[in-house]
Amino acid sequence: MEDKTVCIEFTINREKKALQIPSRMSALTVIRDILGLTGTKEGCGVGECGACTIEVDGQAINSCLMFGAQLDGCNVLTVEGLEKEGQLHRIQKAFLDNHAVQCGFCTPGILMSTHALFEENANPDDEEITKAIAGNICRCTGYQQIFASIKDACSTKTGNG
Amino acid sequence: MNYITPDNLKDALNFLACHGEDTEIVAGGTDVMIDLRAGKLEQKKNLLDIRNLAELKGIDFKDEKLFIGAGVTLTEINRSDTIKKYAPALVKCSTTFAGRQIRNRATIGGNVAHSSPCGDTIPPLVIHEAVALIANKTGEKLIPVEAIASGPYQSSLSKDSIIVKFILKPCRANFTDFQKIGRRKELAVSRMSMAIMADKDEQGRISFIRVSLGACTPIPQRMDEVEQFLMGKIPTQDLIWDAGKILAEKMAGVTGRRASSVYKEPAVQGLFMRILYPVVL
Repeated sequence: MEDKTVCIEFTINREKKALQIPSRMSALTVIRDILGLTGTKEGCGVGECGACTIEVDGQAINSCLMFGAQLDGCNVLTVEGLEKEGQLHRIQKAFLDNHAVQCGFCTPGILMSTHALFEENANPDDEEITKAIAGNICRCTGYQQIFASIKDACSTKTGNG
Repeated sequence: MNYITPDNLKDALNFLACHGEDTEIVAGGTDVMIDLRAGKLEQKKNLLDIRNLAELKGIDFKDEKLFIGAGVTLTEINRSDTIKKYAPALVKCSTTFAGRQIRNRATIGGNVAHSSPCGDTIPPLVIHEAVALIANKTGEKLIPVEAIASGPYQSSLSKDSIIVKFILKPCRANFTDFQKIGRRKELAVSRMSMAIMADKDEQGRISFIRVSLGACTPIPQRMDEVEQFLMGKIPTQDLIWDAGKILAEKMAGVTGRRASSVYKEPAVQGLFMRILYPVVL
């Protein structure tokens, strides 16, 4: 079926955008293919792996399960927006320091789930951390390092975050 | 496809009155996206985004009834003190529903309307004898939540209608719980889910009981036989075990015996036992 287009206006990584997109296009496709922000990954495409996690109005969501049209009026943050003025976010820095990246495909999603957690709760306990990233699957099974990184990021206040 | 975002319920219902058959309603969109990707929506011409419908928002308790807007997300349910007070099993279900990212978008109305056998919000709604307020252009009516799913992924709701809110009888029992069995703790599609509400009188006999089963039957449903069996009896370990057996047989009666029955029947019995163990004397 031929797709009509829909006009959307939203803020992504602190920049205002006005786009005309096909009505059925996912938010993930808008971000990757139209805006060229390929840090956000498509893993399963059905909301089970969390690789496509972005932050919409402060909440972590699966961009593969969201229509691009639903971005209208929203404030969006993708992994590209974590860095500010050439400074990595403290979460990113902690992932580097603790060797929490193996193949790296799940990393952007986990960074965003962690960022959304910190937005709500700057000092989460172990259980809250586990729960916040439970929707992100890492097939290199590097969970120990990921968990250690998030703990580390809780305690450091360096970097831009 | 057209993508339409009406500003209020009236506009949405007017649109559905003309185009309901060709329209897919988008609440959180988490199920619609999957159906779209699977090619199940090829016949549809319109996507109707109901996010701006204020009538579908909000959680309220008044006149001894709990009202939950159909557009309330699972995360909002999880954080609601009102729901925690009056329907704790629903809050429990919201902690294990899909993953955090989906809970932030998915709505209770969408979960019920999608009529998945494993819709986790349905068994907790059913133990509260929840009814849905359904609106179309000509008016409103109340339908029991149990009657909304007519089969797996088949809703009995007419295509011109929208679920506005759910109305629940508040929890008056001392014991209530929801548990599910899935392949892992988070992001698990329920293989089996169960919501139970129970209370005992001064003599320790079961004076109130509601049991609802989900995921292992084609549609989530209340299990009257088990409730009747337990009413007025003192809950011993053996009695609960026997009631679990009746539940397993009832499930097998609904689904027919399958290859998975060897696992599912003892699992239903075990889950029932696990949930009700705290009320055993």
